[in-house]
Amino acid sequence: MTNIWYIVGFLIAGISFVFLTIGASWLITHRNRGDVHKGLPYESGIDTYGDTHGRFGLSFYIYALLFVAFDIEVIFIYLWAIIFRADGVDIGALFLAMFAFVGVLLLGLAYAWRKGVLAWR
Amino acid sequence: MTAMARSFSRLTLGGKILFTLGPILFLLTIGLVLLIAIAGKPIVDFLATNIWLVRFVVAATAVLLMSVPTAFLIIYMEMKIIALMNLRIGPDRVGPFGSLMSVIHGLKVLAKEDFSPTGADRLVFTLAPVAVFMSTIMALLVLPFAPGLFGADMNIGLLYLFAVSGLSVVGLLMAGWSSFNKYSLLGGLRSAAQVISYEIPLILSVVGLLLLAGTMSLNQIVVKQGGWFWNWYVFQQPLGALIFFIAATAEANRTPFDLTEADSEIVAGFATEYSGMRFGFFFFAEYVNVFVVSGLIVTLFFGGWNAPFPWPWPITLNIDPGSLGLGLLFAILIVPPLLILALAAPFYLGRSSMPWWQALIIGFVLFNLLVIVAITGWAFVSWNWVAGLMVFLGKSYLFVFTFVWMRGTLPRVRIDQLMGFAWKWLLPASLLNLFVTALALVVVNK
Repeated sequence: MTNIWYIVGFLIAGISFVFLTIGASWLITHRNRGDVHKGLPYESGIDTYGDTHGRFGLSFYIYALLFVAFDIEVIFIYLWAIIFRADGVDIGALFLAMFAFVGVLLLGLAYAWRKGVLAWR
Repeated sequence: MTAMARSFSRLTLGGKILFTLGPILFLLTIGLVLLIAIAGKPIVDFLATNIWLVRFVVAATAVLLMSVPTAFLIIYMEMKIIALMNLRIGPDRVGPFGSLMSVIHGLKVLAKEDFSPTGADRLVFTLAPVAVFMSTIMALLVLPFAPGLFGADMNIGLLYLFAVSGLSVVGLLMAGWSSFNKYSLLGGLRSAAQVISYEIPLILSVVGLLLLAGTMSLNQIVVKQGGWFWNWYVFQQPLGALIFFIAATAEANRTPFDLTEADSEIVAGFATEYSGMRFGFFFFAEYVNVFVVSGLIVTLFFGGWNAPFPWPWPITLNIDPGSLGLGLLFAILIVPPLLILALAAPFYLGRSSMPWWQALIIGFVLFNLLVIVAITGWAFVSWNWVAGLMVFLGKSYLFVFTFVWMRGTLPRVRIDQLMGFAWKWLLPASLLNLFVTALALVVVNK
Protein backbone atom coordinates (compact mmCIF):
# COMPACT_ATOMS: atom_id res chain seq x y z
CA MET A 1 0.00 0.00 0.00
CA THR A 2 2.88 2.40 0.66
CA ASN A 3 3.59 2.47 -3.10
CA ILE A 4 0.32 4.37 -3.64
CA TRP A 5 1.41 6.96 -1.10
CA TYR A 6 4.82 7.25 -2.74
CA ILE A 7 3.07 8.12 -6.01
CA VAL A 8 0.65 10.58 -4.36
CA GLY A 9 3.47 12.21 -2.39
CA PHE A 10 5.65 12.56 -5.46
CA LEU A 11 2.73 14.00 -7.41
CA ILE A 12 2.16 16.64 -4.73
CA ALA A 13 5.89 17.44 -4.58
CA GLY A 14 6.15 17.79 -8.34
CA ILE A 15 3.06 19.95 -8.75
CA SER A 16 4.18 22.26 -5.94
CA PHE A 17 7.60 22.49 -7.63
CA VAL A 18 5.95 23.59 -10.88
CA PHE A 19 3.67 26.13 -9.24
CA LEU A 20 6.45 27.54 -7.04
CA THR A 21 8.53 28.14 -10.17
CA ILE A 22 5.63 29.69 -12.07
CA GLY A 23 4.86 31.82 -8.99
CA ALA A 24 8.48 32.96 -8.70
CA SER A 25 8.39 33.83 -12.39
CA TRP A 26 5.14 35.76 -11.88
CA LEU A 27 6.82 37.80 -9.10
CA ILE A 28 9.77 38.96 -11.22
CA THR A 29 8.22 39.37 -14.67
CA HIS A 30 7.16 42.56 -16.33
CA ARG A 31 3.52 42.58 -17.43
CA ASN A 32 1.42 44.95 -19.47
CA ARG A 33 -1.91 44.53 -21.15
CA GLY A 34 -1.04 45.98 -24.54
CA ASP A 35 -3.66 46.65 -27.18
CA VAL A 36 -6.16 44.31 -28.79
CA HIS A 37 -3.60 42.82 -31.15
CA LYS A 38 -1.50 41.45 -28.33
CA GLY A 39 -4.22 39.01 -27.34
CA LEU A 40 -4.84 37.69 -30.84
CA PRO A 41 -3.68 34.12 -31.57
CA TYR A 42 -0.60 33.96 -33.76
CA GLU A 43 -1.66 32.56 -37.10
CA SER A 44 1.23 33.67 -39.30
CA GLY A 45 0.52 37.35 -38.84
CA ILE A 46 -3.03 37.69 -40.16
CA ASP A 47 -6.11 38.21 -38.01
CA THR A 48 -7.86 34.96 -37.15
CA TYR A 49 -11.08 34.07 -38.97
CA GLY A 50 -13.51 31.17 -38.89
CA ASP A 51 -14.21 28.74 -36.07
CA THR A 52 -11.05 27.66 -34.23
CA HIS A 53 -12.64 24.72 -32.44
CA GLY A 54 -14.25 23.57 -35.66
CA ARG A 55 -14.05 20.30 -37.56
CA PHE A 56 -10.94 18.23 -37.94
CA GLY A 57 -10.06 14.92 -39.59
CA LEU A 58 -11.85 11.75 -38.54
CA SER A 59 -8.59 9.76 -38.83
CA PHE A 60 -7.48 11.05 -35.41
CA TYR A 61 -10.55 9.42 -33.86
CA ILE A 62 -9.94 6.08 -35.62
CA TYR A 63 -6.33 6.01 -34.40
CA ALA A 64 -7.60 6.66 -30.88
CA LEU A 65 -10.02 3.72 -31.19
CA LEU A 66 -7.24 1.40 -32.39
CA PHE A 67 -5.06 2.65 -29.54
CA VAL A 68 -7.69 1.81 -26.92
CA ALA A 69 -8.13 -1.72 -28.31
CA PHE A 70 -4.40 -2.46 -28.27
CA ASP A 71 -3.73 -0.71 -24.96
CA ILE A 72 -6.25 -2.89 -23.14
CA GLU A 73 -4.77 -5.94 -24.85
CA VAL A 74 -1.36 -4.92 -23.51
CA ILE A 75 -2.56 -5.06 -19.90
CA PHE A 76 -3.60 -8.71 -20.39
CA ILE A 77 -0.32 -9.51 -22.13
CA TYR A 78 1.70 -8.02 -19.26
CA LEU A 79 -0.05 -10.15 -16.65
CA TRP A 80 0.38 -13.17 -18.92
CA ALA A 81 4.10 -12.43 -19.32
CA ILE A 82 4.62 -12.21 -15.56
CA ILE A 83 3.05 -15.61 -14.78
CA PHE A 84 4.58 -17.30 -17.84
CA ARG A 85 7.53 -18.80 -15.99
CA ALA A 86 5.86 -19.17 -12.57
CA ASP A 87 5.80 -22.59 -10.89
CA GLY A 88 2.97 -25.01 -11.65
CA VAL A 89 1.62 -23.49 -14.87
CA ASP A 90 1.12 -25.42 -18.11
CA ILE A 91 3.39 -23.34 -20.30
CA GLY A 92 2.17 -24.80 -23.59
CA ALA A 93 -1.51 -24.11 -22.86
CA LEU A 94 -0.60 -20.57 -21.76
CA PHE A 95 1.25 -19.99 -25.02
CA LEU A 96 -1.67 -21.27 -27.13
CA ALA A 97 -4.17 -19.14 -25.19
CA MET A 98 -2.22 -15.96 -25.87
CA PHE A 99 -1.69 -17.03 -29.49
CA ALA A 100 -5.48 -17.22 -29.96
CA PHE A 101 -6.08 -13.94 -28.10
CA VAL A 102 -3.55 -11.93 -30.10
CA GLY A 103 -4.68 -13.71 -33.28
CA VAL A 104 -8.19 -12.31 -32.91
CA LEU A 105 -6.77 -8.80 -32.38
CA LEU A 106 -4.49 -9.19 -35.40
CA LEU A 107 -7.54 -10.12 -37.48
CA GLY A 108 -9.02 -6.79 -36.40
CA LEU A 109 -5.84 -4.98 -37.36
CA ALA A 110 -5.80 -6.75 -40.73
CA TYR A 111 -9.41 -5.66 -41.30
CA ALA A 112 -8.54 -2.04 -40.49
CA TRP A 113 -5.50 -2.27 -42.77
CA ARG A 114 -7.61 -3.71 -45.61
CA LYS A 115 -10.17 -0.94 -45.18
CA GLY A 116 -7.41 1.61 -45.64
CA VAL A 117 -7.76 3.13 -42.17
CA LEU A 118 -4.02 3.03 -41.50
CA ALA A 119 -3.23 5.21 -44.52
CA TRP A 120 -3.02 8.84 -43.42
CA ARG A 121 -5.50 11.09 -45.23
CA MET B 1 1.46 51.31 -4.67
CA THR B 2 1.94 52.34 -8.28
CA ALA B 3 5.19 54.08 -7.39
CA MET B 4 6.41 50.90 -5.71
CA ALA B 5 5.41 48.77 -8.70
CA ARG B 6 7.13 51.19 -11.06
CA SER B 7 10.37 51.27 -9.11
CA PHE B 8 10.25 47.47 -8.84
CA SER B 9 9.91 47.13 -12.58
CA ARG B 10 13.05 49.30 -13.02
CA LEU B 11 15.22 46.83 -11.08
CA THR B 12 17.54 44.52 -13.01
CA LEU B 13 16.81 40.80 -13.13
CA GLY B 14 19.23 40.00 -10.30
CA GLY B 15 17.74 42.80 -8.21
CA LYS B 16 14.23 41.47 -8.74
CA ILE B 17 15.25 37.95 -7.73
CA LEU B 18 17.09 39.15 -4.61
CA PHE B 19 14.35 41.61 -3.68
CA THR B 20 11.66 38.92 -3.70
CA LEU B 21 13.73 35.98 -2.53
CA GLY B 22 15.24 37.82 0.47
CA PRO B 23 12.04 38.44 2.48
CA ILE B 24 10.68 34.96 1.63
CA LEU B 25 13.85 33.27 2.90
CA PHE B 26 13.87 35.52 6.01
CA LEU B 27 10.25 34.64 6.88
CA LEU B 28 10.87 30.94 6.19
CA THR B 29 13.88 30.92 8.54
CA ILE B 30 11.89 32.61 11.33
CA GLY B 31 9.05 30.14 10.83
CA LEU B 32 11.38 27.17 10.91
CA VAL B 33 13.09 28.35 14.10
CA LEU B 34 9.71 28.93 15.77
CA LEU B 35 8.48 25.49 14.66
CA ILE B 36 11.57 23.77 16.06
CA ALA B 37 11.37 25.72 19.31
CA ILE B 38 7.71 24.90 19.89
CA ALA B 39 7.28 21.37 18.49
CA GLY B 40 10.82 20.07 17.96
CA LYS B 41 10.76 16.98 20.17
CA PRO B 42 7.53 15.33 18.96
CA ILE B 43 8.45 15.95 15.32
CA VAL B 44 11.87 14.32 15.71
CA ASP B 45 10.28 11.37 17.55
CA PHE B 46 7.68 10.94 14.80
CA LEU B 47 10.31 11.05 12.06
CA ALA B 48 12.54 8.60 13.91
CA THR B 49 9.72 6.04 14.07
CA ASN B 50 8.74 6.64 10.41
CA ILE B 51 12.17 6.67 8.80
CA TRP B 52 10.71 5.73 5.36
CA LEU B 53 9.04 9.16 5.30
CA VAL B 54 12.39 10.94 5.68
CA ARG B 55 13.93 8.69 3.04
CA PHE B 56 11.08 9.39 0.62
CA VAL B 57 11.16 13.16 1.11
CA VAL B 58 14.92 13.20 0.50
CA ALA B 59 14.52 11.01 -2.61
CA ALA B 60 11.69 13.12 -4.06
CA THR B 61 13.59 16.38 -3.46
CA ALA B 62 16.78 14.95 -4.93
CA VAL B 63 14.99 13.71 -8.06
CA LEU B 64 13.19 17.03 -8.57
CA LEU B 65 16.35 19.07 -8.07
CA MET B 66 18.39 16.69 -10.22
CA SER B 67 16.11 17.28 -13.18
CA VAL B 68 17.15 20.95 -13.43
CA PRO B 69 20.91 20.47 -14.11
CA THR B 70 20.05 17.46 -16.29
CA ALA B 71 17.90 19.62 -18.55
CA PHE B 72 20.56 22.37 -18.64
CA LEU B 73 23.27 19.88 -19.54
CA ILE B 74 21.23 18.28 -22.34
CA ILE B 75 20.29 21.69 -23.78
CA TYR B 76 23.96 22.69 -23.77
CA MET B 77 24.92 19.35 -25.37
CA GLU B 78 22.34 19.92 -28.06
CA MET B 79 23.54 23.45 -28.84
CA LYS B 80 27.25 22.64 -28.80
CA ILE B 81 27.29 19.19 -30.43
CA ILE B 82 24.95 20.15 -33.27
CA ALA B 83 27.01 23.31 -33.79
CA LEU B 84 30.19 21.25 -34.06
CA MET B 85 28.47 18.84 -36.45
CA ASN B 86 27.40 21.80 -38.61
CA LEU B 87 30.98 23.18 -38.52
CA ARG B 88 29.83 26.18 -36.48
CA ILE B 89 31.32 27.32 -33.17
CA GLY B 90 28.12 27.32 -31.13
CA PRO B 91 27.82 28.98 -27.70
CA ASP B 92 31.20 30.25 -26.50
CA ARG B 93 30.57 33.42 -24.45
CA VAL B 94 29.19 32.43 -21.05
CA GLY B 95 31.29 30.13 -18.89
CA PRO B 96 34.00 27.76 -20.10
CA PHE B 97 33.20 26.76 -23.73
CA GLY B 98 29.81 28.46 -23.35
CA SER B 99 28.64 25.81 -20.91
CA LEU B 100 26.54 28.27 -18.85
CA MET B 101 24.58 29.42 -21.90
CA SER B 102 21.67 27.08 -21.12
CA VAL B 103 21.50 28.40 -17.53
CA ILE B 104 21.23 31.92 -18.95
CA HIS B 105 18.48 30.68 -21.26
CA GLY B 106 16.65 29.26 -18.23
CA LEU B 107 16.93 32.56 -16.32
CA LYS B 108 15.75 34.47 -19.38
CA VAL B 109 12.65 32.27 -19.72
CA LEU B 110 11.98 32.76 -16.00
CA ALA B 111 12.00 36.55 -16.43
CA LYS B 112 9.85 36.68 -19.58
CA GLU B 113 6.27 37.87 -19.56
CA ASP B 114 3.85 34.98 -19.06
CA PHE B 115 1.01 35.83 -21.39
CA SER B 116 -2.20 34.04 -22.32
CA PRO B 117 -4.14 35.03 -25.47
CA THR B 118 -7.62 36.55 -25.27
CA GLY B 119 -9.67 33.56 -26.39
CA ALA B 120 -7.74 31.00 -24.33
CA ASP B 121 -9.27 28.85 -21.63
CA ARG B 122 -7.08 30.20 -18.81
CA LEU B 123 -7.36 27.27 -16.39
CA VAL B 124 -6.65 24.53 -18.96
CA PHE B 125 -3.99 26.75 -20.54
CA THR B 126 -2.14 26.94 -17.21
CA LEU B 127 -2.59 23.28 -16.30
CA ALA B 128 -1.37 21.86 -19.64
CA PRO B 129 2.39 22.38 -19.05
CA VAL B 130 1.93 21.04 -15.52
CA ALA B 131 0.39 17.83 -16.91
CA VAL B 132 3.15 17.39 -19.49
CA PHE B 133 5.90 18.10 -16.98
CA MET B 134 4.44 15.81 -14.31
CA SER B 135 4.02 12.90 -16.70
CA THR B 136 7.73 13.17 -17.45
CA ILE B 137 9.02 13.72 -13.96
CA MET B 138 6.90 10.93 -12.41
CA ALA B 139 8.92 8.39 -14.41
CA LEU B 140 12.05 9.35 -12.46
CA LEU B 141 10.44 7.94 -9.30
CA VAL B 142 11.03 4.31 -10.32
CA LEU B 143 14.22 4.66 -12.37
CA PRO B 144 17.02 2.81 -10.52
CA PHE B 145 20.09 5.08 -10.58
CA ALA B 146 22.36 2.82 -8.53
CA PRO B 147 22.10 -0.09 -6.08
CA GLY B 148 19.88 1.27 -3.30
CA LEU B 149 19.46 4.66 -5.01
CA PHE B 150 15.91 4.92 -6.36
CA GLY B 151 12.70 6.72 -5.42
CA ALA B 152 10.55 3.64 -4.86
CA ASP B 153 11.04 0.00 -5.84
CA MET B 154 7.57 -0.94 -7.10
CA ASN B 155 6.64 -4.44 -8.21
CA ILE B 156 4.56 -2.87 -11.01
CA GLY B 157 7.40 -0.48 -11.94
CA LEU B 158 7.31 -0.88 -15.71
CA LEU B 159 3.51 -0.74 -15.95
CA TYR B 160 3.49 2.38 -13.74
CA LEU B 161 6.11 3.98 -15.95
CA PHE B 162 4.17 3.42 -19.18
CA ALA B 163 0.91 4.49 -17.54
CA VAL B 164 2.42 7.74 -16.29
CA SER B 165 4.28 8.62 -19.47
CA GLY B 166 1.13 7.91 -21.47
CA LEU B 167 -0.56 10.76 -19.61
CA SER B 168 1.50 13.30 -21.53
CA VAL B 169 -1.04 12.93 -24.37
CA VAL B 170 -3.63 14.57 -22.13
CA GLY B 171 -1.33 17.53 -21.52
CA LEU B 172 -0.58 17.94 -25.23
CA LEU B 173 -4.28 17.86 -26.11
CA MET B 174 -5.06 20.35 -23.31
CA ALA B 175 -2.41 22.72 -24.63
CA GLY B 176 -3.60 22.40 -28.20
CA TRP B 177 -7.26 22.87 -27.41
CA SER B 178 -7.02 25.70 -24.88
CA SER B 179 -4.72 27.98 -26.93
CA PHE B 180 -7.54 29.07 -29.27
CA ASN B 181 -5.24 28.85 -32.25
CA LYS B 182 -5.69 26.62 -35.30
CA TYR B 183 -2.01 25.72 -35.47
CA SER B 184 -2.05 24.75 -31.81
CA LEU B 185 -5.12 22.56 -32.21
CA LEU B 186 -3.63 20.87 -35.26
CA GLY B 187 -0.29 20.40 -33.53
CA GLY B 188 -1.90 19.02 -30.38
CA LEU B 189 -4.00 16.51 -32.34
CA ARG B 190 -1.00 15.52 -34.44
CA SER B 191 1.20 14.93 -31.43
CA ALA B 192 -1.59 12.98 -29.69
CA ALA B 193 -1.97 10.74 -32.76
CA GLN B 194 1.79 10.24 -32.95
CA VAL B 195 2.31 9.54 -29.25
CA ILE B 196 -0.55 7.04 -28.94
CA SER B 197 0.50 5.25 -32.14
CA TYR B 198 4.07 4.75 -30.96
CA GLU B 199 2.95 3.84 -27.44
CA ILE B 200 1.70 0.42 -28.64
CA PRO B 201 5.02 -0.81 -30.13
CA LEU B 202 6.87 0.78 -27.20
CA ILE B 203 4.89 -1.23 -24.66
CA LEU B 204 4.75 -4.45 -26.69
CA SER B 205 8.48 -4.52 -27.42
CA VAL B 206 9.20 -4.96 -23.69
CA VAL B 207 6.98 -8.05 -23.29
CA GLY B 208 9.71 -10.37 -24.57
CA LEU B 209 12.00 -8.96 -21.90
CA LEU B 210 9.29 -9.46 -19.26
CA LEU B 211 9.00 -13.11 -20.28
CA LEU B 212 12.73 -13.54 -19.68
CA ALA B 213 12.87 -11.50 -16.47
CA GLY B 214 9.56 -12.63 -14.95
CA THR B 215 9.15 -9.35 -13.03
CA MET B 216 8.07 -5.76 -13.71
CA SER B 217 10.23 -4.21 -10.98
CA LEU B 218 12.94 -2.17 -12.71
CA ASN B 219 15.33 -2.82 -9.85
CA GLN B 220 14.94 -6.61 -10.22
CA ILE B 221 15.37 -6.35 -13.99
CA VAL B 222 18.70 -4.59 -13.49
CA VAL B 223 19.83 -7.13 -10.86
CA LYS B 224 19.12 -9.97 -13.30
CA GLN B 225 21.50 -8.42 -15.85
CA GLY B 226 24.50 -8.49 -13.48
CA GLY B 227 27.85 -10.04 -14.29
CA TRP B 228 29.46 -9.95 -17.72
CA PHE B 229 27.99 -7.79 -20.46
CA TRP B 230 26.52 -10.70 -22.44
CA ASN B 231 23.90 -11.00 -19.69
CA TRP B 232 22.39 -7.69 -20.87
CA TYR B 233 19.00 -8.20 -22.42
CA VAL B 234 20.00 -6.43 -25.62
CA PHE B 235 21.83 -9.61 -26.66
CA GLN B 236 18.75 -11.79 -26.02
CA GLN B 237 16.25 -9.25 -27.35
CA PRO B 238 17.97 -7.37 -30.20
CA LEU B 239 14.75 -6.81 -32.14
CA GLY B 240 12.92 -5.68 -28.98
CA ALA B 241 15.72 -3.23 -28.18
CA LEU B 242 15.63 -1.79 -31.69
CA ILE B 243 11.84 -1.34 -31.66
CA PHE B 244 12.01 0.17 -28.19
CA PHE B 245 14.67 2.65 -29.29
CA ILE B 246 12.69 3.78 -32.36
CA ALA B 247 9.39 4.02 -30.48
CA ALA B 248 11.06 5.85 -27.58
CA THR B 249 12.48 8.41 -30.01
CA ALA B 250 8.96 9.05 -31.27
CA GLU B 251 7.58 9.16 -27.72
CA ALA B 252 10.12 11.80 -26.74
CA ASN B 253 9.23 13.81 -29.90
CA ARG B 254 12.81 13.82 -31.11
CA THR B 255 14.08 14.09 -34.66
CA PRO B 256 13.33 12.28 -37.03
CA PHE B 257 9.88 12.09 -35.40
CA ASP B 258 9.54 15.71 -34.19
CA LEU B 259 6.28 16.32 -36.05
CA THR B 260 4.76 17.91 -32.93
CA GLU B 261 6.85 21.05 -33.13
CA ALA B 262 7.59 20.97 -36.85
CA ASP B 263 8.28 24.69 -37.06
CA SER B 264 8.30 24.76 -40.86
CA GLU B 265 4.76 23.33 -41.05
CA ILE B 266 2.65 24.39 -38.06
CA VAL B 267 4.65 27.26 -36.45
CA ALA B 268 5.45 25.53 -33.13
CA GLY B 269 2.59 23.07 -32.80
CA PHE B 270 0.86 22.99 -29.44
CA ALA B 271 3.34 25.45 -27.93
CA THR B 272 2.62 28.32 -30.36
CA GLU B 273 0.72 30.55 -27.92
CA TYR B 274 2.88 29.81 -24.88
CA SER B 275 5.41 32.22 -23.44
CA GLY B 276 7.45 32.69 -20.30
CA MET B 277 7.71 29.96 -17.69
CA ARG B 278 4.75 27.95 -18.97
CA PHE B 279 6.57 27.61 -22.29
CA GLY B 280 9.71 26.86 -20.30
CA PHE B 281 8.09 23.88 -18.64
CA PHE B 282 7.20 22.30 -21.98
CA PHE B 283 10.84 22.36 -22.99
CA PHE B 284 12.09 21.46 -19.53
CA ALA B 285 9.82 18.39 -19.80
CA GLU B 286 11.10 17.59 -23.29
CA TYR B 287 14.75 17.55 -22.23
CA VAL B 288 14.08 15.66 -19.00
CA ASN B 289 12.16 13.19 -21.16
CA VAL B 290 15.25 12.64 -23.31
CA PHE B 291 17.13 11.68 -20.16
CA VAL B 292 14.28 9.47 -18.89
CA VAL B 293 14.07 7.63 -22.21
CA SER B 294 17.85 7.14 -22.34
CA GLY B 295 17.87 5.92 -18.73
CA LEU B 296 15.01 3.55 -19.51
CA ILE B 297 16.80 2.05 -22.52
CA VAL B 298 19.91 1.59 -20.39
CA THR B 299 17.91 0.09 -17.51
CA LEU B 300 15.96 -2.38 -19.62
CA PHE B 301 18.42 -3.44 -22.31
CA PHE B 302 21.92 -2.30 -21.36
CA GLY B 303 22.33 -3.52 -17.81
CA GLY B 304 21.41 -0.38 -15.86
CA TRP B 305 24.03 0.35 -13.23
CA ASN B 306 25.95 -2.88 -13.93
CA ALA B 307 29.43 -2.39 -15.35
CA PRO B 308 30.17 -4.48 -18.47
CA PHE B 309 32.31 -6.83 -16.38
CA PRO B 310 31.97 -8.11 -12.80
CA TRP B 311 33.51 -5.25 -10.85
CA PRO B 312 34.87 -6.21 -7.42
CA TRP B 313 32.62 -3.82 -5.48
CA PRO B 314 33.14 -2.51 -2.89
CA ILE B 315 36.86 -2.33 -2.18
CA THR B 316 37.69 -1.25 1.35
CA LEU B 317 40.82 0.82 1.70
CA ASN B 318 42.46 0.42 5.08
CA ILE B 319 43.70 3.93 5.74
CA ASP B 320 43.82 5.14 9.33
CA PRO B 321 44.77 8.83 9.29
CA GLY B 322 45.02 8.92 13.09
CA SER B 323 48.04 6.58 13.11
CA LEU B 324 50.18 9.21 11.44
CA GLY B 325 49.85 11.54 14.44
CA LEU B 326 51.52 14.94 14.05
CA GLY B 327 52.88 13.90 10.65
CA LEU B 328 49.35 14.26 9.24
CA LEU B 329 49.32 17.95 10.16
CA PHE B 330 52.66 18.52 8.44
CA ALA B 331 51.48 16.59 5.40
CA ILE B 332 48.39 18.79 5.10
CA LEU B 333 50.55 21.92 5.49
CA ILE B 334 53.38 20.94 3.14
CA VAL B 335 52.00 18.63 0.43
CA PRO B 336 49.49 21.02 -1.26
CA PRO B 337 51.92 23.96 -1.76
CA LEU B 338 54.62 21.59 -2.99
CA LEU B 339 52.19 19.95 -5.43
CA ILE B 340 51.03 23.35 -6.67
CA LEU B 341 54.63 24.44 -7.24
CA ALA B 342 55.43 21.13 -8.95
CA LEU B 343 52.44 21.49 -11.26
CA ALA B 344 53.20 25.16 -12.00
CA ALA B 345 56.91 24.61 -12.73
CA PRO B 346 56.59 23.09 -16.22
CA PHE B 347 54.40 25.97 -17.41
CA TYR B 348 56.78 28.62 -15.99
CA LEU B 349 59.91 26.97 -17.32
CA GLY B 350 58.50 25.77 -20.62
CA ARG B 351 56.92 29.04 -21.77
CA SER B 352 59.20 31.99 -21.18
CA SER B 353 56.50 34.59 -21.92
CA MET B 354 54.30 33.48 -18.99
CA PRO B 355 54.53 35.56 -15.77
CA TRP B 356 55.04 33.57 -12.53
CA TRP B 357 51.59 34.36 -11.10
CA GLN B 358 49.78 32.96 -14.14
CA ALA B 359 51.77 29.75 -13.79
CA LEU B 360 50.83 29.62 -10.11
CA ILE B 361 47.12 30.05 -10.91
CA ILE B 362 47.31 27.26 -13.48
CA GLY B 363 49.10 25.08 -10.93
CA PHE B 364 46.42 25.80 -8.32
CA VAL B 365 43.60 24.89 -10.73
CA LEU B 366 45.38 21.70 -11.78
CA PHE B 367 45.93 20.79 -8.12
CA ASN B 368 42.23 21.21 -7.39
CA LEU B 369 41.31 19.07 -10.38
CA LEU B 370 43.74 16.42 -9.13
CA VAL B 371 42.14 16.45 -5.68
CA ILE B 372 38.63 16.18 -7.20
CA VAL B 373 39.75 13.23 -9.35
CA ALA B 374 41.37 11.55 -6.32
CA ILE B 375 38.29 11.98 -4.12
CA THR B 376 35.98 10.76 -6.91
CA GLY B 377 38.17 7.75 -7.53
CA TRP B 378 38.26 6.94 -3.84
CA ALA B 379 34.44 7.17 -3.64
CA PHE B 380 34.18 5.10 -6.82
CA VAL B 381 35.98 2.13 -5.36
CA SER B 382 34.68 2.49 -1.79
CA TRP B 383 30.90 2.68 -2.28
CA ASN B 384 29.19 0.62 -4.92
CA TRP B 385 26.36 3.17 -5.30
CA VAL B 386 28.81 5.85 -6.42
CA ALA B 387 30.27 3.51 -9.02
CA GLY B 388 26.79 2.34 -10.04
CA LEU B 389 25.59 5.93 -10.43
CA MET B 390 28.59 6.81 -12.58
CA VAL B 391 28.13 3.73 -14.79
CA PHE B 392 24.40 4.48 -15.16
CA LEU B 393 24.92 8.16 -15.96
CA GLY B 394 27.74 7.33 -18.37
CA LYS B 395 25.59 4.88 -20.32
CA SER B 396 22.58 7.22 -20.22
CA TYR B 397 24.51 10.18 -21.57
CA LEU B 398 25.84 7.95 -24.34
CA PHE B 399 22.22 7.52 -25.42
CA VAL B 400 21.48 11.22 -24.91
CA PHE B 401 24.41 11.88 -27.24
CA THR B 402 22.87 9.46 -29.75
CA PHE B 403 19.59 11.40 -29.66
CA VAL B 404 21.47 14.69 -30.21
CA TRP B 405 23.48 13.08 -32.99
CA MET B 406 20.27 11.96 -34.69
CA ARG B 407 18.92 15.51 -34.44
CA GLY B 408 22.05 16.83 -36.09
CA THR B 409 21.95 14.27 -38.88
CA LEU B 410 18.51 13.00 -39.86
CA PRO B 411 15.75 14.87 -41.71
CA ARG B 412 12.15 14.87 -40.46
CA VAL B 413 9.82 12.14 -41.77
CA ARG B 414 6.47 12.87 -43.40
CA ILE B 415 3.37 12.36 -41.24
CA ASP B 416 1.86 9.57 -43.39
CA GLN B 417 5.21 7.74 -43.30
CA LEU B 418 5.32 8.26 -39.54
CA MET B 419 1.90 6.77 -38.82
CA GLY B 420 2.27 3.98 -41.38
CA PHE B 421 5.61 2.95 -39.92
CA ALA B 422 4.13 2.59 -36.42
CA TRP B 423 1.12 0.49 -37.39
CA LYS B 424 2.39 -1.47 -40.40
CA TRP B 425 5.97 -2.24 -39.38
CA LEU B 426 6.69 -1.72 -35.70
CA LEU B 427 3.51 -3.31 -34.32
CA PRO B 428 3.79 -6.59 -36.29
CA ALA B 429 7.53 -6.68 -35.58
CA SER B 430 7.00 -6.32 -31.82
CA LEU B 431 4.33 -9.07 -31.86
CA LEU B 432 6.74 -11.28 -33.82
CA ASN B 433 9.42 -10.60 -31.20
CA LEU B 434 6.96 -11.56 -28.44
CA PHE B 435 6.00 -14.84 -30.10
CA VAL B 436 9.53 -15.89 -30.99
CA THR B 437 10.60 -15.28 -27.38
CA ALA B 438 7.59 -17.15 -25.95
CA LEU B 439 8.11 -20.07 -28.39
CA ALA B 440 11.79 -20.29 -27.48
CA LEU B 441 10.90 -20.39 -23.78
CA VAL B 442 8.28 -23.12 -24.39
CA VAL B 443 10.82 -25.20 -26.36
CA VAL B 444 13.46 -24.75 -23.68
CA ASN B 445 11.08 -25.68 -20.86
CA LYS B 446 9.55 -28.74 -22.54
